[in-house]
Amino acid sequence: MNFFGRPANAGLAPFQQAPDGLAHADDPASPQSDVPNPNAGVPDTAFPDAAPSEDRRPDDRRLLGGRAPDLLHSAGFRFAMVYAVLLAISAAALALYLWWATAGLLDRQTEAAIRADVQGLSERWDEGGLPALVLTIRERLEQNVDDDAIYLLADQSMRPLAGNLRAWPEPVSRADVLYELAVTRAGQPALAQVQRYDLPGGFHLLIGRDVQARAKLRTLLTDALLWGLIVVAVMALGGAFVVRSLFRRTLASVSATAAAISTGDFSRRVRVSGRGDEFDQLAETINDMLDRIGRLMEGVREVSNAIAHDLRTPITRARARLEDAALHAETTVELHAAIERATGDLDGIVAVFQALLRISEIEAGSRRSAFTEFNLATILADVAELYEPLAESNGLRLLLDTPANVPVWGDPEMLRQAVGNLTDNAVKFSPPGGAVLLSARAAPAGVEVTVADQGPGIPAEDRSRAVERFFRGEAARSTPGSGLGLALVQAVAHLHGGTLHLEDAGPGLRATLSLPGQLVTELSS
Amino acid sequence: MDVDLRRSIGLGLPLVLLTCATLATSAGGDAVPPAVTTDTPEYCHKLMDRIGQALRAASTPPPLEVVSLSSEGEHMCDDGLTRGGILRLRRALLILEQMTPPP
Repeated sequence: MNFFGRPANAGLAPFQQAPDGLAHADDPASPQSDVPNPNAGVPDTAFPDAAPSEDRRPDDRRLLGGRAPDLLHSAGFRFAMVYAVLLAISAAALALYLWWATAGLLDRQTEAAIRADVQGLSERWDEGGLPALVLTIRERLEQNVDDDAIYLLADQSMRPLAGNLRAWPEPVSRADVLYELAVTRAGQPALAQVQRYDLPGGFHLLIGRDVQARAKLRTLLTDALLWGLIVVAVMALGGAFVVRSLFRRTLASVSATAAAISTGDFSRRVRVSGRGDEFDQLAETINDMLDRIGRLMEGVREVSNAIAHDLRTPITRARARLEDAALHAETTVELHAAIERATGDLDGIVAVFQALLRISEIEAGSRRSAFTEFNLATILADVAELYEPLAESNGLRLLLDTPANVPVWGDPEMLRQAVGNLTDNAVKFSPPGGAVLLSARAAPAGVEVTVADQGPGIPAEDRSRAVERFFRGEAARSTPGSGLGLALVQAVAHLHGGTLHLEDAGPGLRATLSLPGQLVTELSS
Repeated sequence: MDVDLRRSIGLGLPLVLLTCATLATSAGGDAVPPAVTTDTPEYCHKLMDRIGQALRAASTPPPLEVVSLSSEGEHMCDDGLTRGGILRLRRALLILEQMTPPP
């Protein structure tokens, strides 16, 4: 693995490191190619930074597979019915309360008036007996300016003695029960509420009130509330249709975008209204998902292009060697030698494929399930021990500077490979007599692993591209490698939510792998 | 049982039942609601007599309101507007009784 790649116009879309650590396509233009583009089926404008999609309102039926769900299975209809039922229940509850507060109040007032009358007449009976009661009834009738009082005092035979009823009403047979009694007033039918009281000596007293006006008011109120409920029901149905149409319109936007994407138009996005409501949050989440899918598809396309362009050479070379051996090899030894060289070329190609697949796997995030808490210092020590012999054979000193315990949450194997790649590069490109430093330290946000060497370093203009797949700088052209080492390190860094930073070590290169997460509490010790 | 008698019973029984049902229905349907006796012209005259008694017993001339109400009430009762007339007569009587000191 090395730092330096090929010239810029190698047919790859240029990459720039976004501030968030994610790679975004800078130029979605199709790559130059003299071989058939393996991504012929993928549009060149796949998932650019898409402008908001046009406000197209395709027919729901066409979008929803050609047939809208029937009414009973429609979610919009169910929402609408919930709204209508809630509105109707609320209106009915309000109407019931109003009825109770008005008509019920009238009834309670009548009962209170009758009870007050009973109280007063009872006192007069206690004071003066029958004559006092008769006189009181006459006086109350004469003073009844409300013209609603009804009294009847009867003897043991139910013959009237006082009051304003001609005869004892037959339906009124039980005491302490409030009756509604039909009466006639000036030849007109009316309604009264009366109550019977049985007095000592076998006398019977009937006290009541004319409630005809109140009955009319109650009827009027009841009719008004019923009509009001009908109006509310109609409004509820109308509102339900409005709710349903709003619901369907919002879903239609999402459905239209999904349908367009399924037919190949990857530039579409769900329209965001700007209200910041739940539908906007859904639209933004879907758009973020589509952006990520776009980036992944772009990555796949770039890998395909890279494979096509960068692996063609070794495959062609291997083929040429085998063909030359087949045509010109005169001895078995020459033939075997040619086969071994070709085998070596193919082994290198296999290794590149494996690295590509590993990077893709890492970028897809599927390795997060292997995350665990472990001591990074152990990993660094293992890497240092692994590369110590190589460093020594190259005349280098491999220095390790880490605390005893560096707790990290992540994939130990991935980090082992990432640190190994950085160390491999450092050992490979350092001149004899130099040193390679492998260290770890606490950082404000987590842990920093640094690999520094004293080699030629990477020019400033190439550092941003050094993490691209298959990128190889000028200084690395003479050394074996595929240009995937730093790409894999960056993928591992992103998998752990961290970053890879390359800087000049003056002389040499300092590669810093920053990992967020658990604070190192024992580093200082 | 004699055939003729049976025939008579067979013809007459439905008629009897129908008559009973008609009587029962008419008995319930003809029940007249009790009339309120304080809505009649007689009660009007009774109130006017009471007002007359109260005026004779009063030591001071009656207020103009009493005279007005009494007059209106009398005229309304004579014109058949019994309930309205009674209402005014009651108010006049109430004012008079409020003016009269208790014994």
